[in-house]
Amino acid sequence: MAADKKTLEAGLASWKKQKKNEGIKYIFLSAAGILSVLIIWQLVVMVGLVDEKMLPAPTKILDTLLFKVGNKAPDGNMLLVNIIASLQVALSGFLVAIVVGVPLGLLMGWWTYADRFIRPIFELVRPVPPIAWIPLVVVWMGVGLKAKALIIFFTAFVPCVINSYTGIKLTDQTLINVSRTFGASNFEIFRKVGIPSSLPMVFAGIRVAIGNSWSTLVAAEMLAASAGLGYMIQIGRTVARPDIVIVGMVVIGAIGAILSMFLSKAEKYFLRWKINR
Amino acid sequence: MDKINDRQKLIRSILYWGLPVLAVLLIAFGWVMFSGQHPELMPTPAEVWERLIKTFTKPIAKTSLVGHAWASLRRVLLALFVAWAFGISFGILIGWNKKARAFFGSIFEVIRPIPPIAWIPIIIMWFGIGEFPKILLVFIGTFVPLVINTSTGIEMVDKINIDVGKIFGGNNRQILKDIVIPTALPSIFAGIRTSVSSGWTTVLAAEMLGAKEGLGSLVTKGWQGSDLALVLVSVITIAIIGAILSVILQKLEKVVCPWND
Repeated sequence: MAADKKTLEAGLASWKKQKKNEGIKYIFLSAAGILSVLIIWQLVVMVGLVDEKMLPAPTKILDTLLFKVGNKAPDGNMLLVNIIASLQVALSGFLVAIVVGVPLGLLMGWWTYADRFIRPIFELVRPVPPIAWIPLVVVWMGVGLKAKALIIFFTAFVPCVINSYTGIKLTDQTLINVSRTFGASNFEIFRKVGIPSSLPMVFAGIRVAIGNSWSTLVAAEMLAASAGLGYMIQIGRTVARPDIVIVGMVVIGAIGAILSMFLSKAEKYFLRWKINR
Repeated sequence: MDKINDRQKLIRSILYWGLPVLAVLLIAFGWVMFSGQHPELMPTPAEVWERLIKTFTKPIAKTSLVGHAWASLRRVLLALFVAWAFGISFGILIGWNKKARAFFGSIFEVIRPIPPIAWIPIIIMWFGIGEFPKILLVFIGTFVPLVINTSTGIEMVDKINIDVGKIFGGNNRQILKDIVIPTALPSIFAGIRTSVSSGWTTVLAAEMLGAKEGLGSLVTKGWQGSDLALVLVSVITIAIIGAILSVILQKLEKVVCPWND
């Protein structure tokens, strides 16, 4: 019996070791994937297969990135100033969209009359791609923070409403019936049963919203702005500096990834009661 | 007792049908009032209607509104067909094969967070503003959601189903074709739906930044020429086509995966 246990434990240990080795192998493969792209890119430029004026080498991109941290050329702002300008616009539009959109969606999902009244308005706004709002908003409000935040609002608002609506509609009817049996009022059920059970969907909507906000921001800044990352890459194009454009793209991508990482952390925190179950 | 119930029912049905009508009327009223007071900020509905008719009698850039709409649609459709072929196969590859996932997935993860619109400047630098760069941009915008949805769908397939396939002597290819891909179909279709709406947005952005024809170029033209009625005509057309596309896809989804609701 004891021997059996021993062999079992040995087997488990070797299985764990094998898994760990496999994990290491995959990490190496991932690194190899990215590295090989970078190396091929560098070689192609060094050998001269592509013009350096069209596609600068990765080393040059890195140089430009470091240069932009402390220099204003060519777009008139240091990198950090551009990042802050972009984040300010994106986050203000995004936050207003959450504050307005999520309660609106929950309301529409719970009370039929709210749904009947708001839905036609919402369905009129929904199919318009947010980018198409840019000219109208610029004519109405200029090119300031408010105008751009409004465009971001449009793009983040729609997924917030749709997901909150669907989330609260999917509330388990049994839970609602139990609450009713125990004498809870409709509003109490909404607050204590409906909202918590809709949260996973709400968060999925917020995650879509942040992605939309960040990508629409770039469009808004490319069409009308005097600072920001979108503006920087647009200027990079007009002065024929592909290195500036690529640096801008890399920074935009990195910040987008960081934002969505933060959001997953927040989601884990707010939904910890659900995960533990 | 019955009378009260009848009256309640009546009030309810009035509210039920009256509220949507009221909402639409409010919007129409708001539009008329706002455009009446600030004609420089918003054209009246009548002006927009006249402008719509003018796009047919006096074509812009020698193309009618329908021609511009078709130019945009053609770009999206071309890019979509290519993206469906490549995106779904790539998604299946990195969802099914762990080594491919580690090697190519990491490259994909680095490129993924860059919004398709951020590609516009570099692609214009490389390829100008012709037809190919626009299709390429839409391809980039539609490729990403396809790969993500397909690979997630493949990974989420229940291990038990695969094991059953193995026990009954299926080889890898059979398991992939007969068990894994059909199970992942709803998820793949969700990717297709996202790809269409994302492609429609991306083509507009690409056209707004430089094009001779297409609905996006009409928006820019109206904007630069202070012709807000033209902007509204194009925006409304864009919205209608976008809505039609999503309805078509909803119907198609019911045909392709009827078990999904």
